[in-house]
Amino acid sequence: MRRGPVRALALLMAVLLLAGCGGSATQSPGSSSSSSSSGSSGSAGSGTSSGSSGASNPSSSQANLPDEIEIGIITALTGSEAKFGEAHMRGYQIALEEINAAGGVLGRPLKLIVEDDASKPENAISAAEKLATQTKVPLIIGSYSSAATLPAAQTATTYQVPFIVPTAAADNITEFGSRYVFRINSPSSEYASTVVNFLMDQVKPKTMAIVYENTNFGTSTAQPARELAEKAGIQVVAYEGYAKGAPDFKPLITKVKAANPDVVLYVSYLLDATLLMRQARELDFNPKVYIGAGAGFSTPEFVREEGAGKDAEYTFSATLWTTDVAWKGAKEFAEEFEKRYGVEPAYHSAETHAALYLVKDVLERAGSLDREAVRQALAETDMGPDATIFGPMKFNEKGQNAHPMLVTQVQDGNYVTVWPSEYAAAAPILPTPTWSERK
Amino acid sequence: MELLAQLPQNLVSGLLLGGMYALIGVGLALVFGVMDIVNLAHGAFLMVGMYTTYLLVNHLGLDPYLGILVSGPILFVLGMLIQRLVIKRIATASHMNQILLTVGLSMVLVNTAQLLFTADYRQIRTSYAETVIRIGSVSMNLAYIISFFLAVAITVGLYLYLMKSEFGRALRATSQDIHAAQLMGVNVQNVQMTAFGLGMALAGAAGALLTPVYYLYPTVGENFGLKAFTMVVLGGMGSVVGAALGGVTLALAESLGQIFVGHELKDAIGFFVFILVLLFKPEGLFGRARA
Repeated sequence: MRRGPVRALALLMAVLLLAGCGGSATQSPGSSSSSSSSGSSGSAGSGTSSGSSGASNPSSSQANLPDEIEIGIITALTGSEAKFGEAHMRGYQIALEEINAAGGVLGRPLKLIVEDDASKPENAISAAEKLATQTKVPLIIGSYSSAATLPAAQTATTYQVPFIVPTAAADNITEFGSRYVFRINSPSSEYASTVVNFLMDQVKPKTMAIVYENTNFGTSTAQPARELAEKAGIQVVAYEGYAKGAPDFKPLITKVKAANPDVVLYVSYLLDATLLMRQARELDFNPKVYIGAGAGFSTPEFVREEGAGKDAEYTFSATLWTTDVAWKGAKEFAEEFEKRYGVEPAYHSAETHAALYLVKDVLERAGSLDREAVRQALAETDMGPDATIFGPMKFNEKGQNAHPMLVTQVQDGNYVTVWPSEYAAAAPILPTPTWSERK
Repeated sequence: MELLAQLPQNLVSGLLLGGMYALIGVGLALVFGVMDIVNLAHGAFLMVGMYTTYLLVNHLGLDPYLGILVSGPILFVLGMLIQRLVIKRIATASHMNQILLTVGLSMVLVNTAQLLFTADYRQIRTSYAETVIRIGSVSMNLAYIISFFLAVAITVGLYLYLMKSEFGRALRATSQDIHAAQLMGVNVQNVQMTAFGLGMALAGAAGALLTPVYYLYPTVGENFGLKAFTMVVLGGMGSVVGAALGGVTLALAESLGQIFVGHELKDAIGFFVFILVLLFKPEGLFGRARA
């Protein structure tokens, strides 16, 4: 009889292991998985349909353009990332209406052919195949997660269809040697270099602590940040991973505080970012700068009461886009977006909005819907900082846009762009006031 | 030297967190340790307690600690209902059946919460959580201190109740030998139902104490559910006080262990201590060896 509990415990562990595997997929509290969905990219089979890559070019000269110009869109309308697919669609919608109201492209209205990848890599592949062979679009824009985007980009490459990436951040998407893939946003590795460049430009710290979530997301930013900081002459005095979702970070912060760093870099999602800042206040930990690498430190909830609230004040973060950035149309877009949907736009919507303006520019320069001509025009893109609300567009030989990343600071409860100075809306407040100096 | 400087803060942090761990462990000890039902839904019960507190605070403006007086009875009744409708059928079945059933129950509760509240995370803000007390280099959050003392009070109260009251005697008798208890005129059915209700109410109380210092989302209970089992076995099966001390031990091990290894390994430290105890004192730290 009393042997029962021990056996039960063994069973229990087994069940929990199983439950853990299945459970983790649905466990995405809040908008925690916002930026840098680096995740398991590449794991999805790259072996797309190896067969006929006979690109069926809808070779249409300017004279015989169709009545509407159809553009292929892949995004996550359903599934675990549906929230971000919605953000994508809102950006597309506003841009589409603006472009068509202004006369369309090449004198024709644009039409979006939207395929749902249901947040799954295999669906992204079939969506790309469908758009390439049945709808016969001149180009495709997609998708949200890196896990879905990489195989879709590989499929598009097989069919020789130009493929624009608006959001997916895994570095390898532009690294597989495709001539057809063009990415608008910065890859995840840029977060680290932006943080270090900002620090060297504005703070010149001697010492730094890096505190990161011990997952792929955390280490893929923390490791390059450590290397770049040390190369720049900043001594990394604490490099601490943490298990996410812990109720008590005080032992961790105590340890970091004892190392007395000038700067603390947090690589955290929203839940932990909130507790890390709250408990840093409780422990009266006063480095000169708190800076986050996007994610939790650049989500709208972080500065509000349901996040860190006033504990978020003065924190810096590297980010891709802000509503107050000095790129033409960003502010107006934010106002229109808020009027329509009642919320502030996240950068995902700005990316897709800019993607359609890129398409307009590209098709007009190509002068046709021929895929090779479109690809050529994409490669030659050179749009200035005011051409889109997401800033300048110019792709390198790998198809990566040189998107200037921004640094924000929370000032009076709002994210304010403070660096680089040419896009800044305000000057950074440095050094961070100590907790006791704050109101 | 530098390590020693961290010691007081980690000791206090671990102890305060331990108070809450204790309450979580005690609730499971009643169901798993005493009634011998492998309850994998304990974490989900905790979650239900947290959402109940959240609703009471946000919609009725109740103080989260006073909220226990409301959420406790609600969860108590809910627990009795669940016992009567679901658990009772597998009370004497094999542990495998109990695991399957309670995992299913937990899934239903978690997904219901997801349906009602979405996966967004929430938190309540109280003046307690904003108040920090500093003694020397040690800082304490008032909400943690209150939660700690309430947890201790509830645990002690429960212990006295189980030891002194008629129901407590009946419960202990039932856990020792269900047939003999029945022959002695104990209403075993009622005892089991009440014990399960109490277990759920305690999980709810722990949830209420956790809400002001943590955040909540539908799967929040997973972390704590697993730890609760560790606490119960660590403290010694069948002992309510043992589970409470097991909770404090686990929290202290996690907190103090971090001085030497990183935070990312804190769960590993907790389980390492657990394995050591199982190896050298399989009856648990505070359990009596049983025949």
